[in-house]
Amino acid sequence: MTGTPPLIYLNNAATSWPKPPEVLEAITKSLSLPVFGSGRTTGSHGEDYVLMAREALSRILGADPPEHVIFTQNATDSLNILIQGFLTGKEHGCQVLTTALDHNSVLRPLTEYEQQHRIRLTVLPFSKGYVDPDSIASAIGPDTRLMVMTHGSNVLGSVQDIRTIGEILHDNGVYFIVDGAQTAGHIPIDLSTLPVDAYVFTGHKGLLGLQGTGGFYVRDPESIAPVRFGGTGTDSFSLLHPRGMPERFEAGTHNYPGLAGLAAGVKFIEETGIATIENKAARQVSCLIRELREDPNITVYQDDPALPIIPFNIKGLQNDDVGFMLARRYGIIARTGLHCAPLLHRAIDGGMGCIRLSLSWFTTDQECSIAADAIKEIANHADSQVSPA
Amino acid sequence: MRIVRSVRHKLCADGSFMKEFLLDTPVTKEFFAYLGAFGQVEALPNLGEGFYKFEKPDWFSIKGFAGDTTVEVRFKKEVIDLTVDFVYSLFSTYHEGKIDSSVLKRREEAIGVKVRKHLYGT
Repeated sequence: MTGTPPLIYLNNAATSWPKPPEVLEAITKSLSLPVFGSGRTTGSHGEDYVLMAREALSRILGADPPEHVIFTQNATDSLNILIQGFLTGKEHGCQVLTTALDHNSVLRPLTEYEQQHRIRLTVLPFSKGYVDPDSIASAIGPDTRLMVMTHGSNVLGSVQDIRTIGEILHDNGVYFIVDGAQTAGHIPIDLSTLPVDAYVFTGHKGLLGLQGTGGFYVRDPESIAPVRFGGTGTDSFSLLHPRGMPERFEAGTHNYPGLAGLAAGVKFIEETGIATIENKAARQVSCLIRELREDPNITVYQDDPALPIIPFNIKGLQNDDVGFMLARRYGIIARTGLHCAPLLHRAIDGGMGCIRLSLSWFTTDQECSIAADAIKEIANHADSQVSPA
Repeated sequence: MRIVRSVRHKLCADGSFMKEFLLDTPVTKEFFAYLGAFGQVEALPNLGEGFYKFEKPDWFSIKGFAGDTTVEVRFKKEVIDLTVDFVYSLFSTYHEGKIDSSVLKRREEAIGVKVRKHLYGT
């Protein structure tokens, strides 16, 4: 093939790119001076990036107080800390609920505990991208202690009604951990009004920060036992890890450049306006889906995703091959396969996987149009598949 | 045609092991037609310069666009040690004009015995 097509990046649900210039500047600035972190240096020249990021996440998620916002490596790390911490001290064999929509970051920790006979795991089905709150109510028994579920599907882009679900769970005394890896930064979230006990976020997707940043908000810190211990820069004479917040869940040195970038990413979203971001994404997604649905060879798996995610397949072609063609011939970067959501794919495509387009604030209308044309061109040629041998 | 080097590799979701190979010359429609003697070839010949995919079940697949100097090879992970050299041979044996594949066919048969034994015990 002659020449390299320009890069069109539509894999933002994996990790967003590009980052706002402000994020890159904040990271560069954070590295230009020694780190200022309370309790860890006599210096006082730099910014306290950890505090900045904590306050930024508190604002954008409506998560009060800011000390209840905890930083980790990523959403998976957060989920492990929360699940392990919640189950510490709980009776073995208690029931935990999750859904077939969920990512392996939820399914794998829970399945490990199930294998160890620590829990009895119930995986709830979904229909048309949504879990029926009534099915959750029906699944709750006297020994149900916990539900862990995705807020927004990383494959279908559907957003669950966590208000109704949380109310049902709380009415039955069930703890509710929500995986917000795909929703934070994309849609308005106000945890001060939602019946959620813990909400997990990642920094490098919708929040426009770097990989290696993430965290969680926990409403009642006492509900989660700490599972990591070490240096905090505070109460250093004690050989026991501090139990105050946020030190209760944070041990070791923070990712200062990452948190500087994350704070800048949140600030960029606030200044742009999350409703503006959401509306632009909705318009582009709607347009793309309408275009793809024009071709009978293209199957789109979700009608009206609330997140900028479009899952599809082309009849007669393997999703990996379509991804290869998009990348090589058109410079369009998507993602193919199971997207770490094996139960979801078993339900929608027999476990074969699909191609996922995922947009960001920086995706242009022209890029959407080029992508739609490229996919339709491939679908058109799928009919002409022949053997040259 | 010759494989210059592997430029990328990853373990895929389906359990296969992918290697992207850089070649010394672009692949052609004729090259994939030649591969047809060793497995199945599918193509979308009118998509750009033509998309081609060679499948040798239980061994590996090779896909690429005609005119490109890179191809993606997906190995069945369990037998990659047995089959990887054959990929190199497939490329190095190919040239324009009439090709004598008899040596390759004998190697294919010998490796096939080992692959079947490794995968199925027969």
